Amino acid sequence: MIATILTAALVTCSAGSDNADLADSTIMLQEVSVSGQRQRDYQMRTSQSSIQVNREFLRENLAGSLMQTLEGLPGVKAMSIGSGQSKPTIRGLGFNRMAVVEDGVKHEGQQWGDDHGLEIDQFAIDRAEVIKGPAALLYGSDAIGGVLNLFSNHIPTDSFAGILQLFGSSNNEQLGVSAKVGGRKDRWFYRANATLIDYADYRVPTDSIQYYSYWIHLKDQRLRNTAGCERDGSLMLGYAGQKVLTSVRISDSYSKSGFFANAHGMEVRLSDIDYDRSRRDIDLPYQWVNHLKVLGQTSWCSGDTDVKLNVAYQNNLREELSEPVSHGYMPTPDDPLERRFDKHTGSALVALRRIIGNHELRSGLSAEYQHNRCGGWGFILPDFETATTGIYFMERYTLRKELFVNAGVRYDYARTHIHSYYDWFKTPIGLDSVYVMRSAEMTRRFHSLTWSAGINYATELWTLKTNVGKSFRVPIPKEMGADGINYHIFRYERGNPQLDPEESYQIDASASYDPKGWHFQVEPYLNYFPNYIYLSPTSQYVEGLQLYHYTQARVLRYGLEALVNYEINRRWLAELQGEYLWARQQSGEKKGYTLPFSIPWSIDTALKYRFGRRNDGFVRVAAHIVGQQDEIVPPEKPTEGYWTLNLSAGKQLHVGKQKLNVAFQANNLLDRRYYDHTSYYRLIDVPEPGRNISATVGLEF
Amino acid sequence: MNNNSKGLQAFLLAPLTNQKNMARNTIYSLLLLCTLSACNDSDDDAKDMTYPQILSEGLDVTPVDCQQFSRGEILPVCFQLSDDIELGSYNIEIHNNFDHHTHSTSSADCPMDPQKQPEHPWVYNQDFSIPNGLQTFNAKHEIAIPTDIDPGDYHFMIRLTDHAGWQQLHAVAIKIID
Repeated sequence: MIATILTAALVTCSAGSDNADLADSTIMLQEVSVSGQRQRDYQMRTSQSSIQVNREFLRENLAGSLMQTLEGLPGVKAMSIGSGQSKPTIRGLGFNRMAVVEDGVKHEGQQWGDDHGLEIDQFAIDRAEVIKGPAALLYGSDAIGGVLNLFSNHIPTDSFAGILQLFGSSNNEQLGVSAKVGGRKDRWFYRANATLIDYADYRVPTDSIQYYSYWIHLKDQRLRNTAGCERDGSLMLGYAGQKVLTSVRISDSYSKSGFFANAHGMEVRLSDIDYDRSRRDIDLPYQWVNHLKVLGQTSWCSGDTDVKLNVAYQNNLREELSEPVSHGYMPTPDDPLERRFDKHTGSALVALRRIIGNHELRSGLSAEYQHNRCGGWGFILPDFETATTGIYFMERYTLRKELFVNAGVRYDYARTHIHSYYDWFKTPIGLDSVYVMRSAEMTRRFHSLTWSAGINYATELWTLKTNVGKSFRVPIPKEMGADGINYHIFRYERGNPQLDPEESYQIDASASYDPKGWHFQVEPYLNYFPNYIYLSPTSQYVEGLQLYHYTQARVLRYGLEALVNYEINRRWLAELQGEYLWARQQSGEKKGYTLPFSIPWSIDTALKYRFGRRNDGFVRVAAHIVGQQDEIVPPEKPTEGYWTLNLSAGKQLHVGKQKLNVAFQANNLLDRRYYDHTSYYRLIDVPEPGRNISATVGLEF
Repeated sequence: MNNNSKGLQAFLLAPLTNQKNMARNTIYSLLLLCTLSACNDSDDDAKDMTYPQILSEGLDVTPVDCQQFSRGEILPVCFQLSDDIELGSYNIEIHNNFDHHTHSTSSADCPMDPQKQPEHPWVYNQDFSIPNGLQTFNAKHEIAIPTDIDPGDYHFMIRLTDHAGWQQLHAVAIKIID
């Protein structure tokens, strides 16, 4: 057994994987299918419910954004936040209630932001992993709902190799190109990639929509001004020695996208801009987002000990621009810069792992500093600085070859300093005229003790695991210090300086059964928040808009995902999966209601046919069936159930030494008009995109 | 949730607010998870799931679609507001419709002036509260129309919330004449 663990440790070191638990090798990535045994080995590595996503899955399911690609995974959803952008949710928890981690470092965006995507180049990703459930132990604040772990630091094995991909999709007339190269000479290696994407306004199967009591007519069923572009690039240099692995990676992701012209700004006003002139141009209002990351990683491993050091710097820069309009006492601003966010994050992590007999001990120390400044004439978020530090210790004990137990504990300390903010224009109050204060200066300190424990057991056909844990997140400055109009959703939002760190307790279980040709899996969970931070609509008006304020409430949630796969024969595979989630607020103003954007039940079923001499071609027909959602909270509306038919196909062609991958996808093939209850656009009655056909051609050399 | 388990829940949750008893909290929370899983669907008592109503038909309702008012006059407002549980508050807002935009709650096809650029349009925006505990309320106001505003087509909007936070809108197309 010790030998097995050691082997795993060595593989980890030599592959340079970030999560020391997750051995990954080139061999596995290149394999056409992951065998049941390998899948089980993976499942035995952690007591938490988790899903591994290899390159083959990413290639076969390539969609408009990384999140849409991962959406087929049980328990994972892409929450549409408008203008074709989406953010991940795991079992209904998203934004600051889950962590996105790239190469072992928490990816800092404006996680709370409602209208921009992940700021990650999906073509740079080698593989991914989804941890469902509380993961604060290793990842600290935010990892309440789980973790989306992305890996883009796979070490090249050849002296030179690469992939060139061209892709396009019909719905938003997207065109893109991506190139990735890498090579290794002796112990030195490099990787580089670049991606360019350009897309037009997207199409919805309707001629008009209703927004905030207005009727808006759409030209050619296009959502005006939702076009955009994306430019990404990265460069990585490294040294892979016998015991030492070290690398530096610089990446930059830039995107510019328009906001739906009729659903942005204070009031729905017709603009002089002729939006229907072209569906590829980006007019006001629009945003641009840039994410720069520099990541240095060093790991050293010797026998039964390994040490890892990560140091990262990230900068998020985002601007929102819109036509200046006066509102209330605010005069017409001089320029279109409505909001600007400039966030700098520095972080460091030291992790140690040591194997002593049947015990695997891990400990780590992490520190992070964030500095955020805002600009523009619209106020929603105060300036702030946050410093966080955490320490953890965990142990995994092998009782028998097929029985593991693990437990760990973590302590975090965070300090947030929020700056005051005053309006830049005067408001008459009585006989006087003053600059109204929107945010008061404050300093808050937070402590959190979290823990996790679990057990794994496997027999020849069964894999059983269960995990119980506590996670937390520090309230974000928007939740504590916001006091302004949210122009995107027509409401006035007010923070609460008294908020406590949000805590969450969860029990997960996972059972899988793999008789020959079959794979059964069921993953139930039960989740309790003593103080869920919730933006509650009140009955009051402020400055002509309904007031929403932040409160904390007890919340209970439970649900499950279930999955059956049947390999009929070498060629045919049948898949069936479903998920269900229930949530209830148990105290506070909205006692008895569910949480916003509650995910309705869904069932996915698919039939896949593989062809070709190497079994490397496939055709897959899938149906996505979603139930009606009547579990709502103000200001939501019930959402009808729907189903969509989706088709995908792909083939790997061998041209000499080179491989040509061709993939094709058709989503919403019947062009059905339906609403997604978890989409922000549901609130303004914008249906989901119509039929979309996309194709990708990739040349591996 | 029945009364017994409510009591139990309160008892179990009381220590959760005390930061010092971390270990005890943990045990209580685990107990709680198990307890709560056994009783859920019955705590929906008195949950408001409907929007408040703005009664827009009746003899004394004003303004109504296509109604005309003169500058310097009084614009009388009278709407009957109701909710099945408890009303919240309301807002009245008036903005110009010189660009001929439309509101879904206004079905009227009133004759409109040609489109024009606003020079000194009328802007009115006022929040009003409703006394606690009411299921019906009569919103009655007399709004003075300034003499120096642009005449033309306007929209009169009334927004109403109930205590639970549901919001109802009602839009009326009016015209301000000289």
